[in-house]
Amino acid sequence: MVEAAAAFVAWLGVSMIVLADGRRGLGLGVALAGLGLAAIVFQGHGLVAAAALAVGAAIAAARRLVSGSAGWQIMPPGSTPRLVLCIGAGLLALWIGFGITTGTGAALRFAVMSVVGLAGARVLASDDPAVLLTAVALLALAIAAAAGLSHSAPGMWPYVAAGLIAAAVGWLPVRTPDAA
Amino acid sequence: MPSAAVLAPVALPLAAAAVIAIFGLAGFNLGRIAAAAGGWSVVATLLAIWLPVRSSLELTLGQLGYGSAFDLRIDGVTFAFGMMIALPAALLLTLQPRAWQEVVLSMLGLTAAMAAVEAGGVVLTAIAGGTAATIAMVLLDTEDPRARRPSWGLLLAGWLALTWVGVILQVGGGTAVYSAVPVATVTGPIFALVAASAVLASCLFPWRTWPAELWARPSLRAAGVTIATLYPLGFYLLVRAYELGDGHYPHPLFNVLLAVIGIAAAAAAAARAQAAATRREFLGEVIPGFGGFALTAIALGTALGLVAGLILLATASALVACLALLPDRAGIAPLLTIAAAVGLPPGIAFGARAIGIEATFEAGDFLGLIGVAAAAAWATWMVGGARAIGLPGGRGHPAAETFPRVSMLIAALTLISGPALAAIQFGFAAPVAAEVMPSSAGSLGGGLASVVTVSSVLPVVILFVPLLVIGVAIYASTGTSPIRTQARPALFKFPVGSASGRVWAGIRAATVPEQYRSILSVRELEAAAVGASPVLWLAALVALAFAVTR
Amino acid sequence: MPPDATEIIVFIALVLGFALAFAPAQSPRRSLLVRGGTGLAGTVAIAAVPTFDLAILVLLTLGVLHAAAGGKRAFAIRLRAPLLAVAMLALAVVLARVEGPVVLARFAAVGLVAGLAAGIGLLPYLHPFDADDAAASSPVAWIAFIGPVLAAVVVARAQGLLTADAGGAFGAMLIGLGLLNMAWGGIATWLTESTTAAWRYSFIADWGLALCGIGLTVSDGRRGALLVLLTIVLGRLPLYLVFRQAAAAKTATERPVNLVVAAMLAGSAPFAGFAARVLLLRGATQLYWPLALVLAAGMLLWLPGSLRLGRSIGAPRRRQALGVALMLAANIAAGLYPLPLLEAARL
Repeated sequence: MVEAAAAFVAWLGVSMIVLADGRRGLGLGVALAGLGLAAIVFQGHGLVAAAALAVGAAIAAARRLVSGSAGWQIMPPGSTPRLVLCIGAGLLALWIGFGITTGTGAALRFAVMSVVGLAGARVLASDDPAVLLTAVALLALAIAAAAGLSHSAPGMWPYVAAGLIAAAVGWLPVRTPDAA
Repeated sequence: MPSAAVLAPVALPLAAAAVIAIFGLAGFNLGRIAAAAGGWSVVATLLAIWLPVRSSLELTLGQLGYGSAFDLRIDGVTFAFGMMIALPAALLLTLQPRAWQEVVLSMLGLTAAMAAVEAGGVVLTAIAGGTAATIAMVLLDTEDPRARRPSWGLLLAGWLALTWVGVILQVGGGTAVYSAVPVATVTGPIFALVAASAVLASCLFPWRTWPAELWARPSLRAAGVTIATLYPLGFYLLVRAYELGDGHYPHPLFNVLLAVIGIAAAAAAAARAQAAATRREFLGEVIPGFGGFALTAIALGTALGLVAGLILLATASALVACLALLPDRAGIAPLLTIAAAVGLPPGIAFGARAIGIEATFEAGDFLGLIGVAAAAAWATWMVGGARAIGLPGGRGHPAAETFPRVSMLIAALTLISGPALAAIQFGFAAPVAAEVMPSSAGSLGGGLASVVTVSSVLPVVILFVPLLVIGVAIYASTGTSPIRTQARPALFKFPVGSASGRVWAGIRAATVPEQYRSILSVRELEAAAVGASPVLWLAALVALAFAVTR
Repeated sequence: MPPDATEIIVFIALVLGFALAFAPAQSPRRSLLVRGGTGLAGTVAIAAVPTFDLAILVLLTLGVLHAAAGGKRAFAIRLRAPLLAVAMLALAVVLARVEGPVVLARFAAVGLVAGLAAGIGLLPYLHPFDADDAAASSPVAWIAFIGPVLAAVVVARAQGLLTADAGGAFGAMLIGLGLLNMAWGGIATWLTESTTAAWRYSFIADWGLALCGIGLTVSDGRRGALLVLLTIVLGRLPLYLVFRQAAAAKTATERPVNLVVAAMLAGSAPFAGFAARVLLLRGATQLYWPLALVLAAGMLLWLPGSLRLGRSIGAPRRRQALGVALMLAANIAAGLYPLPLLEAARL
């Protein structure tokens, strides 16, 4: 039950990132998605792994709150396709995670697939560096979480590395294109 | 003789190239001495290795990494083709002055060609032959980037085809070594590839290709070396193909087809030669003509045909040197060269062609008709040669590169060596037949004085010596002064030549119709592909996912 | 670390050294060192990390750093393809690890192939390209510097992730994409208007061969693919760097050195490209001979474009000429005797 709720929170968080253009919306999205993924990982792989993801997400969220477009800008005009995408991707991930695939860890499967899919789609569709870097941070967290699907113990390094990437990527200076 | 000796004909010119290059980069041109040393060392080592024992010597070292071991061999075939390649190259390198860069490339080309004929397996031959082709292109470009050179695509296609043959033999038969390939592995399709690669490697086509075109270059330094090193390689493949098939091609149809290609090449060369506007243009068709006759003879599938073809090839290789050293002005040198080239008696070309035609009649069936065609082509050459004596010389070549006396000597030697035909067959060509046609090579006989065929005996010494005496007497009683060079009409115009040119021009000028250009616009297609459209990417992903569910 | 990836990394380091040592005096060596060193460190990390997840994370980091480093194209444009690669690889890993219908494993193979193609920058996932971009900022960094190691790692990991059935689909897709890229790259090199773009397409053509070799499940295919990757890293990439200098000086010449370079780029004997072709033909013949026929015919497409590329490097002088000569010599050595390279990669 906790895992299912955490998976829903993760989906909610990444959907927020897809639907929001403002830094508050993006920050909240990172925080929610990171929290959801950390909660799922905590159930399966312990405190250290979850803490790494959570701290990384927190730092990324904090950074996002102070850089980027002002305000929330959740569902700006013309964002209906994005909403459809979030719902559709969520349903698809739900079907695959809980319906087609078997075994334990259905919530993890759902969360990872929805976060990876939606974060990847956000990267393809946006031009705003703040949005892109936020999606990158979430992508890193989701990839680390996917390590938990492996049959062998993944160790803590994927989680630590993902946390570091998520925390650091928000500070990356993005150069404007060189003049022709 | 230690087996490592087989490395010498390959290693020595390579070492010479390295030494010349080092000195050249340091600012010292070692000149023709170093070039001559490199070239003649190959000839000397071949003679030193082969003549004492006249049996195969092989060196096999470790694997190279692509399924072939480092396997070099000197046998009768290697000796014959090695001499055909090395002798004219050595002579040209000795006499003609060159920049050190051209000498280095010539040495490398000689190395690669020798490696190709010494290679013990098909794959190594393909690699070495491909290398020789690459080096030839660079050499020709170094001398004159604007002058004609072979189609690199055709050469590459030929050697790539042979590479494929080699790997098929490795996969299917376990080995591509000439002497070890199971006969059953050499099927019709595989032989078709071998034949295709041979035809492409030497461009044995009825239309005018590089063996004729290179003679039109302003300088013949690179052309001579290129033709000497590259042209025999295609024939080498066809001779080795007999070894692969234990003395036969997989089907008689291949013999017929190759013989037809050969006679078509010879006849077409004759037709172009008799319509040549200058003597140089006529002489440019000599090598393709010889090649055509040689291919016809080699393809017959009999030992007699094989030796006739080899002797024709050897004559052609001598004429490569002769033509490269021949100046374009009138005189006794071009007269003797033309006489040697058209196969006047009692020359070696005359004897070899006679034996070749005899072999076609003895082979019987359709091949006999090819013999008739060969005789007709030969007659055309004779007439064309008579016409060419009075043609203008051509645009000329640098005097420093021409040596009319040497050229005349080579031509004279080919003319007076007719009586030695049997000896040449015995010493030079028969070992090749023994190597690749062991079961039928025994039919060759006659010793040093006569050539024995299935149906007759040709006493070459008895017949040709009087002819030689008569020929010398006729020459002594006449002279070249009455010859007036002038443009002369051709006996007949080759109708296909202009038509094919018009067809090619039409193909080159073809464009996509206006109404279809938007569909077939390369630029728009490229823009769509590099546009990084997420829709395209996702569509590709869906397509892949669909494909794996089938 | 996979042995073939290790070997490729060594050669990448050599090429970086080549670029630093033989670049003209006015080249920004510091920038080259920083970017090249970062890329090299990233490729080492991709190969050295113990799990595939970590390798994907390293790839993600490299993608973001490369996009943020600047260039003629916008950050968003530069980021898309690498991120798509990361996303597809991550999804592939998920699908490979979960339990479910057999088709999921095949979809995992799809993700691995698509992710690999997107990471390298091959059809249909070509990276956006600006001819004025510096070499280190352009997609050539992915296709010739990071891509070879990425391919070695993905292929090595795929063997542990995929089932036998999915492995077959993996190989078949690689061959299909390989043929597509061969054809496109070969023709586009010849016909495209921009010479810089022609160079990029020539890399794509070579990758087509490499993908075909990887997709052939026999060892000769892998050997051939390794040699192709080595010719990309040790042959084509250094010459591309020489071309960039010549392009800046607007020189194109038709000297013998240009023809030799063209021969090397076309995969003629005696260069390493020809040895690679021998091995690929062996592999294809063992598996399915019509594929060998298609490959052999496709190999002829290299020639017209290579002649163009050979002319474009101009006439190298002094240090550059020495560098080109060394590179050609290394290629010839690898072409005539590739066994040590193959044994070092345990192939």
